[in-house]
Amino acid sequence: MSTLLADRIAAQHASTLAALPPQLAGGARRRAAMAALATAGLPGARDENWKYANLRPLERQSFTPAPLNPGAAAAAAPAELPQRLPGFARDVFRDGNFAPALSDPLEAGPARILPLAVFESGSPPAPAHAGRDQRFALLNAAFATDGASIAVPATAAGPARIELLFVASAAAEAGASYPRVELRLEPEARLTLIERHLGVSDGASFVASAVAAELDRGAALEHYRLQELGARAILFDSLSATLGADARYHLRAIGSGALAARSSIQVRLAGERAGLAFAAASLGDRQQLQDTYAAVEHLAPNTRTEETFRGIAAGRARIAFNGRMVVAREARGADSRQSLRGLLAGADAEIDVRPQLEIYTDEVSASHGATAGKLDEQMLFYLLARGLDRETAQRALKWAFLGDVVARIEPPQLRQQIETRLAAQMLGGSTFREFL
Amino acid sequence: MSGTPLLTIHDLTVSVGGKQILTGLNLAVATGEVHAIMGPNGSGKSTLAHVLAGRPGYEVTSGNIVYQGRDLLALAPEERARQGLFLGFQYPVEIPGVNNVYLLKAALNAQRKERGLPEVDAFEFLALVREKMKLMQIEDSFLSRGVNEGFSGGEKKRNEILQMLVLEPTLAVLDETDSGLDIDALKVVAAGVNSLRSPARSCLLVTHYQRLLEYVVPDFVHVLVRGRIARSGDRGLALELERRGYDWVSGAAA
Repeated sequence: MSTLLADRIAAQHASTLAALPPQLAGGARRRAAMAALATAGLPGARDENWKYANLRPLERQSFTPAPLNPGAAAAAAPAELPQRLPGFARDVFRDGNFAPALSDPLEAGPARILPLAVFESGSPPAPAHAGRDQRFALLNAAFATDGASIAVPATAAGPARIELLFVASAAAEAGASYPRVELRLEPEARLTLIERHLGVSDGASFVASAVAAELDRGAALEHYRLQELGARAILFDSLSATLGADARYHLRAIGSGALAARSSIQVRLAGERAGLAFAAASLGDRQQLQDTYAAVEHLAPNTRTEETFRGIAAGRARIAFNGRMVVAREARGADSRQSLRGLLAGADAEIDVRPQLEIYTDEVSASHGATAGKLDEQMLFYLLARGLDRETAQRALKWAFLGDVVARIEPPQLRQQIETRLAAQMLGGSTFREFL
Repeated sequence: MSGTPLLTIHDLTVSVGGKQILTGLNLAVATGEVHAIMGPNGSGKSTLAHVLAGRPGYEVTSGNIVYQGRDLLALAPEERARQGLFLGFQYPVEIPGVNNVYLLKAALNAQRKERGLPEVDAFEFLALVREKMKLMQIEDSFLSRGVNEGFSGGEKKRNEILQMLVLEPTLAVLDETDSGLDIDALKVVAAGVNSLRSPARSCLLVTHYQRLLEYVVPDFVHVLVRGRIARSGDRGLALELERRGYDWVSGAAA
């Protein structure tokens, strides 16, 4: 990180603290995160794992959080928000701050949801094991003014269901948005979480979000991440999760918004038999950039990973997925599978899918496949030979390509919303229902 | 027996990857006729089927094909299909994520649109598909599966014929539909083909063996050798081939 950028971040951090109410300003988290950030710096273009990310906006970005503006939050038309999903509690955050008027906590089941602002001083600093690629999580921890802290105890009453909506409304000039989620699943606890990032306008928001999740023994988390930010938004997103023994983490991420989005994911399978099933889809058109870096560490015996990525780049979009799998010496009997596929749907589009395997034990079962290319000519001809016009055939095949990810979205209404959005974006408004 | 001309191939030469495969092929098929195209491996049988369907990568260097009075080679593959030309693939493609029923319906509606008909009624369509599925002995689970996804070789071939039965083509070109089928599956496929025989439809059966022709009796049999038809006859020719082998014709053509 350039000294100039570091100095600017430090100065803006100091003024942020001065402007906050005293009970928020004194938090240990902020100061620890800022100190760590000052040491580690933000990634630069020469960092191998950041070569696709667009870091240029950082040079001119104001990191001061967008102002708390309860009036604006109340004024946002609920109509702009996605339809409520039955059975899910909803908490809405506007530019990173809880918006009670738009929220409907209802029945979150057994989960306790607390706005972080209430007890910020009690929340832990960024975890010590966070890797260098989680540095934007430090930025978030240093500046976030609010967020959701969710704790889920075990219960026989079925999973807790929570939808978190992070609405970016402020333009970048007005300040940055720092959505933040801290999750803790107690032993055997179950949670279905929808984390959705969207923009109410096509404003050029700057968003640096962070999610930290701890899954204790036997806990199960089904986590949907939908990135639907406005067309000019910039997003740096960090997700870190640690799984205890027998914990199961189902992570499904679909990114279709923003001008440039970078997602940095770190999952640690720390307990025996912990399992991660990660399915992600990125869609890019025009000048969009969708860049994902996912590092999965197998740290205990018999841990499992199944990773699926599907990316479609049209127009002049660039899509990258870098899937790093580390199997430590202790992780005997680990099973790691990757299927990464990219589809080029535009002559000037770019796709880079990269599996990386680092294995330090012999007792491991690992497979990975990565392909990037155009639509399969044989499939296309088969459909044409049945009389489908070329455009319909191509749409059907693109839709099918995403099926490996979309089919894993279980709440029916959520899947329907996602399908509708994806269809609007990539099928030019034609109905996808006919493909089903 | 012979009706009006449906397909006329005149002096067709075709190259694939710079190599000439068809070397001046002539063939005339009238409505209502079933023609069998036989020949040894590499004689150009499948090339002929693919050229008729419009597969990319086949370069027609001379000759012409007239189908229903139109220049077939000027039509895109999807236009040929909508004009009632059906290719039954030797190796049907698996398309996970594209539903079998979706494909059937989209294909049927594309054809109906071409003929100025409204889209097929959803209930009537499903009833039609179920009826044909029964004939082809295809299980119900087919309806919810991807196109040929995870199908066995025999299931794929039966699916080809199912598609043909739903689309009711004017000209069906079946490319080695019999290959890899056991005798029971062969009978099912043959029953499907026979159910579509009518004075209004024609069929080109591309096959290596005469076995299928015991169940689908052709009006004409042609033997393709080195890219052109070396001999034509009736069903008796297929039987004679079976007895004497392809060397008999290959030798005569050399």
